[in-house]
Amino acid sequence: MEDGGQLIARVRARDAAAFERLYDAYHRLVYGVAMRVLGERSGAEDVTQAVFMKVWNAPEKFASGNLAGWLVRVARNSALDLLRNRSRQPVELPEHSALDDGPEAEVFARLDALSVRSALEQLPPEQREPIESGFFGGLTHEEIARNSGVPLGTVKTRIRSGLLRLRATLDGAVRA
Amino acid sequence: MSAHELMLEDVAVYVLGALPEAEAAAVRSHLQTCDECRREYVTLRPAADALGFSAEACADPSSGAIVPSRRLKARIIQQVRRDSSQRLSTNIGELRAVRPIVWPAYAVAAACLALALITVIFNMSLNEENRQFETQLSQLNAHASVLTRELVVQRTELADLVSPESQRYPVTNGEVIKHRTRLYIAMEQMPPPPKGKVYQAWTLHARAAKMVPSVTFVPNRSGVAVVPIPVNAASVVAVAVSLEPEGGSKQPTSAPAFVVKLTQ
Repeated sequence: MEDGGQLIARVRARDAAAFERLYDAYHRLVYGVAMRVLGERSGAEDVTQAVFMKVWNAPEKFASGNLAGWLVRVARNSALDLLRNRSRQPVELPEHSALDDGPEAEVFARLDALSVRSALEQLPPEQREPIESGFFGGLTHEEIARNSGVPLGTVKTRIRSGLLRLRATLDGAVRA
Repeated sequence: MSAHELMLEDVAVYVLGALPEAEAAAVRSHLQTCDECRREYVTLRPAADALGFSAEACADPSSGAIVPSRRLKARIIQQVRRDSSQRLSTNIGELRAVRPIVWPAYAVAAACLALALITVIFNMSLNEENRQFETQLSQLNAHASVLTRELVVQRTELADLVSPESQRYPVTNGEVIKHRTRLYIAMEQMPPPPKGKVYQAWTLHARAAKMVPSVTFVPNRSGVAVVPIPVNAASVVAVAVSLEPEGGSKQPTSAPAFVVKLTQ
């Protein structure tokens, strides 16, 4: 089976069949992120359509590495943009950064949803909640601090600690 | 906590996407110059991305959860295929829209004149070559005609010499052969003539008082000579051969090598 990089390369060559395979492989991820952010099907479908059409129209925005991770960011940003503005105009695709091509990027791309959910549940609530609020809720660290009544510095410390712990748990999952 | 440790926390919040844009820009700029913060970013990036993977469960049909409608895929794929075909037709249209190169009128006229001159010179050259070829062809045809005639004569002579219908008159070292109106002297082991001499044939016609001179000939190195006698054989009653000076004689100057009478 072709990986994400190979599919994107064919999409760059205007291969509609490759695009369909890419959709089949990643649409549940994109739609799931949008649903988690928006909480309603219509908006999630609009975001999914917008994300995939952007991929079709500008596949060069993704250079290499973890395609799933990049699509997660695109879907999240698009959904948050819709949530904030309620404008149906999707955001521009972010440029893919070389920093996003860490050595384990493609290994982490093979993580399944259950493993990640399990790793998240292992986080203490005071770390998991600000992380989920920041990622899916689109809140800034200041908004998280204000909503939870926790000092800003503590929120930032908990976010960092939580992500490091999550990373360590996921390391174990991918090596298992 | 040091200022740099505070920056590491900002990197974590940045990776999560929870920094306001102004602070996010500052972190991006800092990442360009700080190796430790870059390592922190690279470490935390997969964890932040993995958060999205956890949301995929919401769309997992095996869990009975909500999944995107099938119409969504049909809508997207239809749009992509339409776009793909439009791109193709646009490309074809671009190809068709390529404007032809337009030359100025004077350039066209000059090019035509030059082309005409070249054509005339080329034609003259071709005509001259054609004339030369025609002359050569004519000469070759004439030569071929000669060769053809010779071949026909040789074939006729050969047929006459071997024909069972021919009349044969033996002589020393050979024979005189008569076939209808044609007459031949066929010799073998004929001694070469002395220097300055040739063999000459003589024919005696019916009711004639004396022989008349005919062709001269010399046998080849093997002593073979096949000599057609240019005469109507029907009127010849005798044939003789004698040694004569080169160029032949009007009267025999030596005793004949042979004389043979031909029956009618």
